[in-house]
Amino acid sequence: MDTYVVIAIVLLFLCSVICRAGYMLFGDYLPLSESVRRALRFAPAAALTAIIVPEVLPWSAQTGPAFDYRLIAAIVSILVFQWTRSAVMVIVSGMVALWTLMWAIG
Amino acid sequence: MDMRTAIIATLTWGLVTGVAMVKSGLTESMAVLMTVLVYAGSAQLTALPLIASGAPLWLVFAAGFIVNVRFIIFGAALHPFFRHLPWPRRLALGYFTTDTSFVLFLPRFGDAKIRGTREQLWYFLGVIAPGWIAWQTSSMVGIVLGARVPTEWALDFAAVLALLAITIPLVKTRPMVLSVIAAGAVAWVGQLLPLRLGLLLAVLVGVTVGLLAERALGRPRL
Repeated sequence: MDTYVVIAIVLLFLCSVICRAGYMLFGDYLPLSESVRRALRFAPAAALTAIIVPEVLPWSAQTGPAFDYRLIAAIVSILVFQWTRSAVMVIVSGMVALWTLMWAIG
Repeated sequence: MDMRTAIIATLTWGLVTGVAMVKSGLTESMAVLMTVLVYAGSAQLTALPLIASGAPLWLVFAAGFIVNVRFIIFGAALHPFFRHLPWPRRLALGYFTTDTSFVLFLPRFGDAKIRGTREQLWYFLGVIAPGWIAWQTSSMVGIVLGARVPTEWALDFAAVLALLAITIPLVKTRPMVLSVIAAGAVAWVGQLLPLRLGLLLAVLVGVTVGLLAERALGRPRL
């Protein structure tokens, strides 16, 4: 388990170095075409969404799609963001919503 | 965004990431190693559920890479300011570039007539150094806290919310909305695929839908 985690961390370190320093190092030889730039703009939000969705809308092969209070808490925090434009409030309101639901309904 | 806001955002992020690393099952020493080496909150938070479920290492790398793709674009924008420096310094400046340092630097010098001045270099250093210190300090505090807070508090959810907090502001145009909805739908159904391959599929579909929508709609603001 530990070797697996260490390798994963080293790979993520390489991700940081390649993505952040790659252009600084080789920018003179790497023209980034407009169409590639356009495509790249969509990738981070899609990847982040793809990580968030299974956390709030779990679906396992055995039990089928499931409901989780986290979905409601996430929706509350999105609404709070639209209202406050504050990242900190997203975290605070989402946690408060989840705790309230867990406490009220169990 | 000013420097003070940037530091507060970094401190919150670091704290949440520190807690999340421990709550997702990393030992404290692994969490410290991760925060010191990787130094990229969104990539770390993205990788945690993958590592916890024992996903294949290439997928951990791919997911971290995709989330970090924005830095390639940042790098392309910053490169003209630092291209005159020797490569070890460019390597260091690149590695320590964060979202906040980019967001502070570019609006200030984006229209500068002369690029590569000492002022620009020192301003950038003045942004990345406190950012690194704030991040590492708050991450360490988070790691210590995370090991002591009971699991029933569901603090791991704070990490999901932190990801949400960086995702929502990205979704500003109609093509982006459609892209994210498509990616989300594929990610939901894609949970039935093995090895969390739904993640990669969701990104491919999200990018494709985004580009198609942009072609169909132009690039209107919401």
